[in-house]
Amino acid sequence: MSVQEYLEKHLLSRKIEEAVNAAVRAKAPDPVLFISTHMRRAAPAVITSVRARQILDSRGEPAVEVALHTNKAVHRASAAAADAPEGAAAASTRDAEKRKLLARTVADAVRVINDKVSEALVGMDPQQQAQIDQAIIDLDKAHHKAEIGMKAMLAVSIAACKAGAAEKEVPLYKHITDLVGKSTTTLPVPAITVINGGTHGGNRLPIQEIMILPVGAKSFEEAMQMGSETYHHLKDIILEKYGSDSCNIGDDGGFTPNISSISEGLDLVIAAIDRAGYNGRIKLAIDVAATDFCIGKKYDLEFKFAEKSGQGFKTADDMIEIYSQLCSEYPLVSIEQPFDKDDWEHSKKFTTLELCQVVGDDLLMSDPERIKRAVNEYTCNALVLKANQVGTVTEAIEVVKQAKDAHWGVMVSHRSGDTDDSFIADLAVGAAAGQIKAGAPCRGECLSKYNQLLRIEEELGSDGVYAGENWRTTAGTS
Amino acid sequence: MSVQEYLEKHLLSRKIEEAVNAAVRAKAPDPVLFISTHMRRAAPAVITSVRARQILDSRGEPAVEVALHTNKAVHRASAAAADAPEGTAADATRDAEKRKLLARAVADAVQVINDKVSEALVGMDPQQQAQIDQAIMDLDKAHHKDGIGMNAMLAVSIAACKAGSAEKEVPLYKHIADLVGKSATTLPVPAITVINGGTHAGNRLPIQEIMILPVGAKNFEEAMQMGSETYHHLKDIISEKYGPDSYNIGEDGGFAPNISSISEGLDLVIVAIDRAGYNGRIKLAIDVAATDFCIGKKYDLEFKFAEKSGQGFKTADDMIEIYSQLCSEYPLVSIEQPFDKDDWEHSKKFTTLELCQVVGDDLLMSDPERIKRAVIEYTCNALVLKANQVGTVMEALEVVKQAKDAHWGVMVSHRSGDTDDSFIADLAVGAAAGQIKAGAPCRGECLTKYNQLLRIEEELGSDGVYAGENWRTAASTS
Repeated sequence: MSVQEYLEKHLLSRKIEEAVNAAVRAKAPDPVLFISTHMRRAAPAVITSVRARQILDSRGEPAVEVALHTNKAVHRASAAAADAPEGAAAASTRDAEKRKLLARTVADAVRVINDKVSEALVGMDPQQQAQIDQAIIDLDKAHHKAEIGMKAMLAVSIAACKAGAAEKEVPLYKHITDLVGKSTTTLPVPAITVINGGTHGGNRLPIQEIMILPVGAKSFEEAMQMGSETYHHLKDIILEKYGSDSCNIGDDGGFTPNISSISEGLDLVIAAIDRAGYNGRIKLAIDVAATDFCIGKKYDLEFKFAEKSGQGFKTADDMIEIYSQLCSEYPLVSIEQPFDKDDWEHSKKFTTLELCQVVGDDLLMSDPERIKRAVNEYTCNALVLKANQVGTVTEAIEVVKQAKDAHWGVMVSHRSGDTDDSFIADLAVGAAAGQIKAGAPCRGECLSKYNQLLRIEEELGSDGVYAGENWRTTAGTS
Repeated sequence: MSVQEYLEKHLLSRKIEEAVNAAVRAKAPDPVLFISTHMRRAAPAVITSVRARQILDSRGEPAVEVALHTNKAVHRASAAAADAPEGTAADATRDAEKRKLLARAVADAVQVINDKVSEALVGMDPQQQAQIDQAIMDLDKAHHKDGIGMNAMLAVSIAACKAGSAEKEVPLYKHIADLVGKSATTLPVPAITVINGGTHAGNRLPIQEIMILPVGAKNFEEAMQMGSETYHHLKDIISEKYGPDSYNIGEDGGFAPNISSISEGLDLVIVAIDRAGYNGRIKLAIDVAATDFCIGKKYDLEFKFAEKSGQGFKTADDMIEIYSQLCSEYPLVSIEQPFDKDDWEHSKKFTTLELCQVVGDDLLMSDPERIKRAVIEYTCNALVLKANQVGTVMEALEVVKQAKDAHWGVMVSHRSGDTDDSFIADLAVGAAAGQIKAGAPCRGECLTKYNQLLRIEEELGSDGVYAGENWRTAASTS
């Protein structure tokens, strides 16, 4: 075709004229760049391809990374694999077997994304998150691997979300807020891991994590400062008390001193908070992960002991007694997964006492049906959101909405064995979660989330509100 | 001015016509986007501002992050702080004092960057790395703090380098290769930390690190696979041998089992390599960091023992004997900082034996003058490059050139206590270093570097060459 036909076909003359007029009106000092940007905005973004590759996560295990290409840019995202099914501490043979399974699952996910997901998404508008996620869900159903239960597709969904935010020229958390349908400027309270145990640390502590919540901070920045200082004082205390080889760290960056009871752990943390000078301003939380040591209907608090005394077996009612005692003796405000994942009865019994936040982890599995039942039965009063349990950004937002409609607390969470993707930071802000759990102030994959929140808070300026004492009741403002 | 005057002043008519003609010639399917891109390229990039902020590094310590704004995009970079001056293991009071010093040094650097560096760089072309780095060096001289010796300016230099490569529309490693003046297709051999000791862990092992080098891999991807598998087998072995509380990790992600001698450590690693099935394909390296346990002229191998036997004190000649023995008994191919930083005599004596690569760390301090002396006197035969010891990208490249001209090995290195910036990966490729040390296949801040190398190798495709057996002699091709 002739030049003239070409120009007319694409309405170029008019678009160029619009751009020039806009530059003139704006008195743009650099009109070439202005016109370039103007015309770039005039061209709608479309997904042109989706490429996946294997990377290594923070434990050196395979994970999925996705590069989503539009006609304008490339957006990258990665997602952690789900842990292997819960159970008693695995023997090394099972670990090796588990690692092989994981490697195959990741390789499979990479292939499915490259072969099938890419062609399904090509041509789509990256701002249409729901449409994109539906396509992902449809494909995932066809290929979902039950043994590992990993949702590798999350990486695709996140990459699309980043592409949508870029096209709209808004920060990622703002785009998420738009998807939620509200406005929000809330920075979450960090639930900072300081001590690891359970299957995440090699000591005899039966519970998985002890965390500190700097609810008394005036900003997220101050919360991280208080958290880091307390963490470092805790390291000093552990060194003094347990010797020089006791300060190595576990999967979430927490210390794993050779303690064997919850009280011992909480005492250490209280001493650290005191040394740091933050008494009263930092609260405590524990992640029990009780499913890991539930045998039948009993809970074996000595499950990591080489030689058991036999006194470690507790009934669920014993556990309620233990938790009640801890809540009265310590500033303990949150207990995650206090019972086996299928023990709805005792979880409800404990939640009804209204002593603290009771967080459902594997009780809920971020599954809308289980959440619905737990809401109806008052089995717990908070959700820990592990995005890759849900599968897509849209589903994650729906689950948050479900929890908030029930006036639950919402704790957005990383995974042990995570990548450096900081999406959950923007998710926590965009969905006004109020709480985020991303490990210790240690290990790069943990800090990438906390550092992203520091950037978000700086960007929000005076519009940013730290959840603080409202960590459980933060709601998105319409 | 009138619209016509405005158009003429910026030569808009001509530039628009050029862009449209180019679109026609290219038969661009999306001419709006094509013209946008064409005009964007026609507008030269300039730095518009440089903003610094404080983030937290992988140990929860303050670090500097820089956002360098051009008229086209924002580029982010961060740099680890230097360690405190070397010496005997610090006690808790000194640690707390050290942390305060570091926090002030970072706050100071942020202020200097925002107040002074920004205005010095505004208006510069981000592709002019030498000019930018000279401006940074001039300012740094005026504000350099001796107490911590931290080079926060590196973050600015790296951000500019990223901006330069974006403007050239080439990958970062390619831009670095252009600055070197050669082409870049060599993937380095990773020196993967697997066991930590010295001041980096709480066991009794006197040396800082034991690393594995998968020189027998066919590409970098396989090298990381071999490295991760060996690491996981090592975890199993340590668990079996030393109990379940022994596999927690140190600052570089390495394990810190309760061993007290180098042989013990090397034996464990050999068993792991054997279990993984990689005998002969993986070599060993150690980072002695001998300055940390040099008292006067003696080396105290029991410096971390609670109760010393008195047998631990060795002369420098004893150490030469020990190293020679290890090199003959194990596939040990590299020893870093085998003597005190000022013991030029014995370092030369050992290097002359030509038993292995001898890497200068604090002997050289990445200082051109010390490197020059070491080259002339044959004090060592390899350089470990810690970019933030040097200060800027150009200085780092000059130091690499110095080492390569002397036919030395070059090991680009992270810092313990690092950020998630993966610049050193591109640096290792762009400068054809041949070796990279970025910790264990564990902890997010280590994996970001290794994952970036996976991406670079994938991008290079058949052009990429893994250094492998040429890890010491990898040279750029002109």
